[in-house]
Amino acid sequence: MNESSNNPDERLDEHLDDHLDEMTGMLYVEGQLDRQRAQQVSAHSQECPSCRTLLRALERESRLLTRAMLEEDEPLPSRLAAFQQSAQKSMQWIWGAVFGLAATGAYALYTGYVEPMQQRFEQAGFGGSSVLNLMIFQGAFWKGWQSMLTLLEVLALLTIAGSAVVFLRRRLRGRGSVFAMMVAGICAAATVPSPAMATEFRNQGDTIEVGKDETIKGDLFAHGHHVKIEGTVDGDVYVFCQGADIEGHVTGDVIAFAQMLRVNGKVDGNIRSFTNTTWVSGNIAKNLLTFAETVNIDPTGKVGGSVTTFLNTLTIDGAVGRDVLSFGSEATIAGNIGGGIQAQGNTLKFNSGAQVAGPVKFKGNHAPEVSSGAKLAIPVVFTQEEHHKRYEDSGFYVWRVIWTAAVILFGLVLFVLLPNFARSTVDSAERYGASFGLGVLVLFGVPIAAFIACITVVGMMIGISTFILWMTTLFCAQIVVGAIVGQWLMGHTRETWQLIGRMVVGVIVVRVLGMIPFLGGWVRFAVVLWGMGAISLAIYRHFTPPRTVAVPASPVMPPSSLPPNTTIGSPQPA
Amino acid sequence: MSSPGIAEPTEAIARAKAGDAQAWGQLYHDYAPAIFRFCRRALPTREDAEDATMEVFMKLKGKINQYDPSRPFSGWLYKVAANHCWDTLRRRKIRQDKETEDSDELPLEHPDPSQLDRLIEQRSSAEVRKALACLGKRARMALVMRYYSDMSYDEIADELGVRRAFVGVVLLRARHELRNALEGNAALAAGGKA
Repeated sequence: MNESSNNPDERLDEHLDDHLDEMTGMLYVEGQLDRQRAQQVSAHSQECPSCRTLLRALERESRLLTRAMLEEDEPLPSRLAAFQQSAQKSMQWIWGAVFGLAATGAYALYTGYVEPMQQRFEQAGFGGSSVLNLMIFQGAFWKGWQSMLTLLEVLALLTIAGSAVVFLRRRLRGRGSVFAMMVAGICAAATVPSPAMATEFRNQGDTIEVGKDETIKGDLFAHGHHVKIEGTVDGDVYVFCQGADIEGHVTGDVIAFAQMLRVNGKVDGNIRSFTNTTWVSGNIAKNLLTFAETVNIDPTGKVGGSVTTFLNTLTIDGAVGRDVLSFGSEATIAGNIGGGIQAQGNTLKFNSGAQVAGPVKFKGNHAPEVSSGAKLAIPVVFTQEEHHKRYEDSGFYVWRVIWTAAVILFGLVLFVLLPNFARSTVDSAERYGASFGLGVLVLFGVPIAAFIACITVVGMMIGISTFILWMTTLFCAQIVVGAIVGQWLMGHTRETWQLIGRMVVGVIVVRVLGMIPFLGGWVRFAVVLWGMGAISLAIYRHFTPPRTVAVPASPVMPPSSLPPNTTIGSPQPA
Repeated sequence: MSSPGIAEPTEAIARAKAGDAQAWGQLYHDYAPAIFRFCRRALPTREDAEDATMEVFMKLKGKINQYDPSRPFSGWLYKVAANHCWDTLRRRKIRQDKETEDSDELPLEHPDPSQLDRLIEQRSSAEVRKALACLGKRARMALVMRYYSDMSYDEIADELGVRRAFVGVVLLRARHELRNALEGNAALAAGGKA
């Protein structure tokens, strides 16, 4: 049907006594010919194999086009997913209220926890300094603050880089450019020279020794069954072992994870230990912070700074230059304390020969025993530990209300700032089995993983950051569960503010249930497992490539538009 | 035009007309992926498609009262999207197309069916999408309207501003451009002799 006319309308009026032209074939395949013409084409194609093949090829081309168009080759961009919320309404006026409420929550947090703790530390005689001062400048807890500052700098740079990428996104076509930019940035950061550092690692054999005549310039990392330091380490010492003896001289800090730590030598810095037993017969110039079963400071032992302990039994026969802060079952003092004592536990004894220059405060089950030979600057201020009385105290309920309000405010801020993530978390919580299962894993597994990460220097930052995130998740669990309970009571919703309303109701219910004697403990435990699991699941989903939402099915079905008796794509006509 | 794989959102549309934000959210959730994909096929870049998707839904707020509930919502939505994308392309003039309704180059021959069949057999959907990006704006738009959203020839003619009888020419020419892009085979695109 090769005609001379180029007019498609005229072309169709020609007789079909030759091969079909492509236009006629396409219009036939697309169902655009009238019935009479379509029948002519159909009849012709039944007799002409070449035209039949052409029609089949055009039909297959239509299908290929439809398939190529409809294939879900890329998910809905996150920018579009977030657009839904931003397009709904202007939130400008809400921000003022949110920040006001958040400030109230922060104030409740400060007055409830930070300030009392600060007062406690000040009462314990930490030089009257603030907690921040204590932690950062005295380094009482962690020497790695300098590293954290470095980390913060890196994070700040990454934030700036991220903002730049977002800003330039329109100019950077494709993910490849963004990825290349990020890689280049990381490479550039990695090429910045780092300060020279001499670090020695020793983990060979069961016993690791630093001989008497040996001097190590720089930090020492020692891992083995038994670590013995008789020589000098001009830096910090990190030990991971069953037994550690420090008989030589360490000019820096000692950080020990050991069953038994004995300090017979001299440590110019601090000691921070996680041990079963810590013996101090030597000299620690600065502070001692320990989590242990038993701590003994022998008559010959001396701690120049403060002693902070979380343990079962504390015995001080030696000298402590400054204050003692003790949380444990039993504390026995027979030595010389240059500062005051703040203790909480079961018993506190002052044996003959004990001298305390500062105030002594003790909160416990039994009144402190003070030997007649003990010399205390001020009589012990004793507070009897009163069990179960909190339920009878009206202040207990006032603080419960304040804390519930703080939790709600915190949840409000989270839901407004991260509406998609909040909704995703609540959705995850509805997968009960997965949430509880993951909750068990996260509740117990993450602290262990964080602890293990802390064993390495670089990992210490990651470990502590992970632990902080874990603590935040622990706190947020009740918000997530509250939202679910609220939805049970008031019905499901996808709208942010309605979800916040349900969260408020749910959190109140959850916290009231958590106050029920005996049962309340289990409720709180279940809430923690469930909420942590849901948050973890949502985080996992967030960092997993999303699957596309169900979209319209193929709207084009060319075969259905074909005229009757068509032979396209089917067995050849008789 | 068939409806999406979901039921007609009659209730959500009614509530959206009344200004219910949740109903708007539901409509967006259900239809944004399809509209994004439509825009992605019709416009040159992903960023353009993202912008267009948002703008289409912004426009929708002003046009929702014009929607006739007796007709499929998805079809109407695609028309809004097609209109927006075509306006965008025309404004930019990214590539000069043959805008006139001339039919001088309209192929009238009977192409080699086996050669065409082989070309189609050998090409994947991904290759077709890649080739689609090389087409002129009208060819591309026509193919997207026809084979993505199943718009009728009348609707395509309205959107492109051409006579109804010329839509077939536009589509066939678009197919030829696509084949050219796929194969670089001008002879095939022009329609080889049988």
